[in-house]
Formats: sequence, structure tokens, C-alpha cells
Amino acid sequence: MRRSPPQKLTDYLPIAFPAAMLGLFFVVPFAIMVAVSVFKRVPGGFYEPAFTLANYARFLSPFFGEVLVFSLFLAAFVSAICLLIGVPFTYLLTRLRRGNQVVWLIALLGVLSLSEVIIGFSWSTLLSRTAGLSNLFVWLGLMDRPQSWTPSFGAVLTGLVYQAFPYTVLVLYPAFSRLDPSLMEAARTLGSSPIRAFLNVVLPAMRTTLLATSIIVFIFALGAYLLPQILGRPQHWTLSVLVTDQAIYQSNMPFAAAMAVFLVMASLALVGLSVAISGRKGAGQ
Amino acid sequence: MTDKTNLTVSRRAFLGATALGATTLAMPNVLRAQERSIKVGVYGGYFKDSFDQHIFPEFTNATGISVDSIAEPTGEAWLVQLQQAARAGQAPADLSMMSQVAMLKGQSTDLWAPLDLSKVADADKMLPQFINEYPDGRVAGVGAVAWYITLVSNTDTYPEAPESWGFMWDPANEDKLGLLALVSNSFLLEVTAKTFFGGTDILDTDEGILQVMDKLAELKPNVRLWYRDEAQFEQALKSGEIPMGQYYHDVTGLAAADGFPVRSTFPKEGGILDSGCWALSRASDKGDEAHEFINFMSQPSMQALMSRKVGTAPTLKRDTLDLTDAEFASVSSDIDPVLPRYDLYTTKSDWLNQKWTELIVG
Amino acid sequence: MSGLQLVDIHKRFGSVAAVDNISLSVDEGTFVCLLGPSGCGKTTLLRMIAGLEDPTSGNILLQGRRLNDTPAHLRNLGMVFQSLALFPHLSVGENIAYPLRIRGKSKAACGERVRELLDMVQLPGVADRTITQLSGGQRQRIAIARALAVSPQLFLLDEPLSALDAKLREAMQVELRQLQQRLGITTIVVTHDQREAMTMSDQIVVMSNGKVEQMGAPIEAYRRPATPFVADFLGQANLIKVAAGEGGARFSGGTIPGLDVAGGEGALVSIRPEDIAVLPSETGPVKASVVFVREMGAIVEIYLDAGGERIVAHAAPKTHGDFKVGSTVSLSMPAEACVVFDGAGA
Repeated sequence: MRRSPPQKLTDYLPIAFPAAMLGLFFVVPFAIMVAVSVFKRVPGGFYEPAFTLANYARFLSPFFGEVLVFSLFLAAFVSAICLLIGVPFTYLLTRLRRGNQVVWLIALLGVLSLSEVIIGFSWSTLLSRTAGLSNLFVWLGLMDRPQSWTPSFGAVLTGLVYQAFPYTVLVLYPAFSRLDPSLMEAARTLGSSPIRAFLNVVLPAMRTTLLATSIIVFIFALGAYLLPQILGRPQHWTLSVLVTDQAIYQSNMPFAAAMAVFLVMASLALVGLSVAISGRKGAGQ
Repeated sequence: MTDKTNLTVSRRAFLGATALGATTLAMPNVLRAQERSIKVGVYGGYFKDSFDQHIFPEFTNATGISVDSIAEPTGEAWLVQLQQAARAGQAPADLSMMSQVAMLKGQSTDLWAPLDLSKVADADKMLPQFINEYPDGRVAGVGAVAWYITLVSNTDTYPEAPESWGFMWDPANEDKLGLLALVSNSFLLEVTAKTFFGGTDILDTDEGILQVMDKLAELKPNVRLWYRDEAQFEQALKSGEIPMGQYYHDVTGLAAADGFPVRSTFPKEGGILDSGCWALSRASDKGDEAHEFINFMSQPSMQALMSRKVGTAPTLKRDTLDLTDAEFASVSSDIDPVLPRYDLYTTKSDWLNQKWTELIVG
Repeated sequence: MSGLQLVDIHKRFGSVAAVDNISLSVDEGTFVCLLGPSGCGKTTLLRMIAGLEDPTSGNILLQGRRLNDTPAHLRNLGMVFQSLALFPHLSVGENIAYPLRIRGKSKAACGERVRELLDMVQLPGVADRTITQLSGGQRQRIAIARALAVSPQLFLLDEPLSALDAKLREAMQVELRQLQQRLGITTIVVTHDQREAMTMSDQIVVMSNGKVEQMGAPIEAYRRPATPFVADFLGQANLIKVAAGEGGARFSGGTIPGLDVAGGEGALVSIRPEDIAVLPSETGPVKASVVFVREMGAIVEIYLDAGGERIVAHAAPKTHGDFKVGSTVSLSMPAEACVVFDGAGA
């Protein structure tokens, strides 16, 4: 089919709807957020239109710097663990019989239907001393007495990974299902053990999917603000928690917006960087 | 401002038992109340539900004034709405239930119409902390609801009730405390000041505040959970997972009554008394009705009813009430309370918040 | 003993027998085609040789050594997959060098060998290209080069040419055969295309329903099919139900003179279309009417009805003008061209 460039205004009609939706639900809210971030806070009130960089200036302190670094580190860690578990899991899942695959996928979708609050409370119970998993280990004779594992960094990590894992698998699943199984077999007949073949053929062949998945999980984890509160100590609070504090409890919308803009910028920069790096590696493909 | 809407979850359970009686009372007044009416803003959720069911019907019954109740949004959005409406001469509600911080912020723009206490028969019985005054002495608001935050503990872990807030600093309590996460709802600065510095006057200066914060920092190793979500701490307290902390007095009492091994203690320094005021928008033309409403609400019988049905601490002096000792103890105490320094949260809000966050996160 | 032996191989998938008791022997340096319709078990058999499937029972021997317990990656064989399975993230050169790198060969040695292999498949200088820059036929050659990179003892190909168009396929068949002869490597090809099998291989193994129907030189199998299935699958065959009669084998269209059918009723006779002569006379041992004439260029196919039996015959182009649809002809079916299957043997 030959495509001719659009000539009349109506030729642009097919993209009008997606463009309008994108504008309405992404560009406009983001623009409002950017605008509010330079507004002047009215203590004891709300905010009034102005142009001030004071909100950004307040953010540029070692304290918020540390929180930002921790947030990025936590998100990257969650993303790495999700891929580390999710990739072999999804690969083995796609090797199962169709019926079994469906059962697994439905179970994972079930996790998606749980709210962040339920996940947080469930894990805080599971990791507690009085009613948690450690009691089971004591009963099994693996531990001497029950222990409390929450709040802690491990608990935050566990909760976030649990929540992000279904997304990981659902993003990886279509690509792994489409993966030609003979790639792996070819690698084996050419002299690679199954694990080696998985590492040097399957993973590199899926590079783009893996990168996309890690970015999705990274962004997802970066936005988490409930789980770090429920499962973590204050030093495990992410920037998103502080944004929520400012927006809801301090009514400081301009500062909350400035932090949010900074968070978006920082994550976009990281995403751009990783795409650029992988793009150079995959150049000529 | 204290986010009272969170309380709805834990308090709604005991509300159901009394709901039926209230609705039947309300029915006959519908026609009579047509001529006079008043719009009253109430914190959405638990408070609005209880007031709609227990309190407003009584008022309409007694005065013939119908009540149009409005759920206030959380945060300071309601204050902003009232301010903007008042500028345009509008009043989305005549009377509103306002947090003490919001009262102070409203004062700064003269939002609240002065109240005439001579029209409130029981004004002389009122506890002084519940009369909110402009700096020049005009009355900006009158106590609407009040509640205590006390030192709570698990009776299995602590067979002896603690006597002082100072017990929280005991090194033996490492990793055992659950405290509210925000400077503006935990009032721990006031608690620390009253416990260790002889009163909250030390908070008048920035240096004083930092000094108090240093003392608070010593508490950090003992804190297991800085909570925003009350249900999270309540559950942990009941199970003994986090056996001590600060929590709502009446809710803890209800949990104890249900057989959970928890207790609420008024330390010798006093419980933290937080409250909301009735305040009249200056744009309202229902001044008479508003005074009648406040007059009605401030009667000893109504305060007693609220203590019994809504679980709030009475705003009147103890000896004017017909509450039994047990009923009184379930919502209040004679011990001189820790009174929050609301002025700090209006004048130094951002600075305090920043220092506080650095204190607990750092 | 040299070459590859399969001894009593069974393979079950659940209750289905994909390979049902197959034994065969492949001599060193020969080119063998596993031929059969889809689902006959030929690919499963190849995958068992490669180590990608484990036989349910039976032994696989290479040079007399039992191979069953050697995992695929240690079997030292080269395999070309139907999808070719070229690694998309590697360049052409890296693909070919993959088995060499796995075995720890140096970069220089790999580069040298890649050049050699590219020359061998007549694609010099494409080492730095990506896979997507190659045509189908070129990819085919790269897959072959990669499989042969380590000079394996055994060269396996699973429907290697099925993705190519007809002309290219024919050329590749010849090329593959020449390459195999040059290298002298034992080669097993799975195909469903009997022409491909016949043009390339020293030996064909015709399979059906998990069993070997016939094994042998292609022309032998073609001339002397062991079963009606083989007769029908290899090229065209007329399969005619016959009974013993006076002076030959009798069927509904007449008698095949001099053909001795032992088992009385229910015997089948196979005769190739090119062995039947169509004669313009209306008298003869077998009479038939012309139903359809199909001109193929080099030959003419004549579809006939001999007393209800449908028969196909080939004729040379210049004679076909004599046969009109509907005309009656007589057929010459020499007994020596017929293969008899006794007792409804299929």
C-alpha cells in the first residue's frame, strides 16, 4: 500500500483522538504541575500564581539529595530483583502447557487486583513477630523464637517486588512466548549448556524487552509511596512519600509539585541514559 | 491539621448500634423546620455520620431550625474555599468545624465573624482552651469536638501502666514505640517540652525548638513505627508487635473493652488535647441561627450526649456534666492536658516540617 | 563400527507413539533423507539424534559409542533448523563463530575459520553484516556454515529448504549435496519433499506413523516400493486392486497379462504412470476411456477410467494429440513394471 503524506486537514483525523487523549490526560496535567511548581506558596493558605524558583531551591539540599538517591537506588534494586526472578520464571512459564500457563497468568492477575494498602498490611502481618512467617519457621524448627522483620529495608523491598512482579511477568510474557524455541536448541547443538545458552542467546536476543521491562518496573517502584511507609522506617521513605506529605498534610502544593517535577526529570534522564547506552550497544542491528 | 477522617474506620463499628434510634427521632421535624435553616460544615466521614444521626436531629427537634450538613474535604482545602467564597460574599457553609490551625489561619484574614458569648447560656462553664479568640479578644470560635491522644501500651508486655511520657525515652524500650509521623499531628514537640523542659514556652524560639528536637532525637532508637495510618498502629498495639506509643484515648478504650490487652494512660504530664472549633463565616447571614446552634451544642446535656455517642471529650468543666466517672474517663481526664502550640504550625509550618522530617528520616 | 546406529528406538509423548521401534544404520559419509508426511515422526527421530529429545527406549550409537546420555551440547554435531535459528543479536560472523567461541577458540582463529566457512558457502565478505541484511538463501548458507564450523561428526538438517522458493530450493539441493560430498560428512536431512529426498540422498528412509516403511537407495525405493504407502508417497503411482485370473491379474478394467498374483483376492498392484503405454486401438487386454488430459510441457498426463478404476498414464507430447477426452483407448501395462502387494498389504 502506498502512503501519501497528509494533505488536507481531515487527513490528520485518525491521530486526532489519541493526540487529544494524550494531551488531556498527560500533557495538560504535567503542564499544570510544572506551573504550580513555580507558584508561590501562601503559608496558611494555598498558593498563588507567581514565578519563583524557591521551591526548587529548597529541594536542592543534601537532605533531599539523599532521599532522591535512595529512591532511585530502591527503584533500581526492585527492578533488578524483579528481572532476576521474573525472567527465568517467565521463560519456564512459556515452556509449560497452555492450560497451566493460563492458571499461572490468572494467579498473577489476581495479585494485580490487590490494592497497595492490602499488600502492605498483608506483608506487615506476614513479617511480624506475633503473627508472621517466623512463627512457622519456629514450628518447623528452623528458628529459636519468632522475629520481627518489619519495618525494615528488606520488608520494603519484599513488598515492592511482590507488587511489581506481576507487571514484570506480564510485560515479559508476550515476548518470551514469541521467542523461537529453536534459538535455544540451536545454541545447545552448537555447544552451549542450557544455562549458558539461556545467558548468551536468549537474554541478548530479548535485550530490548528486558530493558523496557526494567524501565517500567523502575518507574513503577519510584512512584510507590504507601509501601515504604507501611513496611519501612523513616530512612526508607522515598521521595514519593515526602511529596505526599507536602501535598496532603502540609498543603504545600508548589513544593510538592517541584519535587514531583524533579522526580520525573531524574527518572526520564535515567531512562534516556539506559536507552542511549543500549542503543549504542545494539547499533547496526 | 489533624486528619480526623482516618478515624472513621475504627469508630464506625460502634456507631451502627445507635443509628436506628436517631433516624426515627429525625422524621417528625421535616415540615416544621422549613422556615429557618443553617448550613453546617463537618469533617467528612465519621464526624459527619455521627452528627447527622445523633446530634443534628436533636437540635432541629429543640429549635425548629433545620440543618443542612456539608462534608468538609480534608486538608486545608475547605479553609481556602471559605476564604475565596467570603471574598465574593458567599458562604458555602454558615458554621464550620475547623481545626485549630485552620482557625488561626482564618483569623489572619478576618474570616471568622466574632461570636457573642452572651448568647451562649453555658459559656461560663466552658473550659478556657475551647474559646478561640482573636488577638484583640473577640471570640473567633467555640469548641466543637475534642479528643485526647494518650500514652497507650499493651498490657501483656507492660503489666504496669507507665506514669510519664518520659518512660518512652527509657533505653529498655528500644524498638517498641509507635508514634505519629507528622510534626503537626503527633504534637511530640509539646509533649517533650512539657515533660523535659517544664512547659511549652521553650518552643517560642527557634533555638528552643531545636533544643527540644535534640531531646526528641534521643527517642529515635526506641521508635519502631512512625505511622500515618492509624489502623496500622492499632493492629500492632493489640497484637503486642509494637507494644507502646501514642494513640487516641477513646478508640483505645473501646479496644480494651472488646478484650484486647491494651490500655490508655493519661501520663502525669497530661494527655494531648486536640480539638476543632465551630466558626462562623463572615459572609454568613445566619448569625442568629449560628448562635442558637452553638448555644445548643454547648449545653451540658449535649456535651454528655456527644461523649457517650461520638466519643469526644466534653468542652465544659467536669462538675457541670452528668457523666459518670467511667463515662468521663472513657473520653477525658482531670489531669492538666498537653495543649498543642497551634501557633507554631501557622507561623513556622514549613520550617518545622523540614526540621522534623530531617529529624526522623535522617 | 562406523557411522550412526539407531537400535529399537521408541519415543512416546503421553499415550502417542511418535517413533515406534525404529532401527537403522547410517554409514559414515553417506547422505540420508528421512522422508514422510508431517507427523510421521521424522523430526522427532532427528531431534533424538541431536539430543534435543530423549528416546523412551532404545540406543543411539555414533562410531559405536552410546550417545543417549550425552547432552546435546557435548554431542559435537551440527544442526540446521527449519527456522534456521540464526541469533538475531549477533552479526553473521559472530553467528558462525558462536560454536568456536563456546569452545574457547581465540578471536584470530575464529576470524580465520569464519572466512574459510564463508568462502565454502560462497558468501565471502559478509561477516560484518547483520542477519536482517541477508536474503533467505543467504541466511540458509549462513546457518549451514555455522553448523559446520566445528567440523562435526554428524550434520543434521530439519526441513532446511522449506522456506525457500522453488527455483532457489533446487539450486540449494544441488549445492548442499556437492558440499556434503566434498566434506564427506555423515548427513541426515528431514524432509517431506520426495523430489528433494531423491535428488540429494544416498539413502532414503520413508516413514509413516512412527515406523520405517522402507529404507534404501532412492531409485530402488522408487522402482521397488516395499509398501503401497511408499509407492504412493514417492512420486505418482497407480494402485489397483487385482485378483488372480486367467493368464494374468484381473481387475475391473481388464487383465494385466503375465502378472502372477499369489494371494487370490485383495492383492494390490502398483504401476508408475510412465510405465503405462496408452494405445489408440480399441482392442487389448485393458480398455479405458480418456477422462482428462493435462499438458505438462515435457510430458502429458492422461487421466483414464478403466472400468471404474482411475488410472494415470504419462505420454510423450507428440503423441497426445491422438487422445481426445471421451475416446476409448487400450492400455499396455507390462507385468515387469508392476509391483504386487499381497493380501491388502497396507
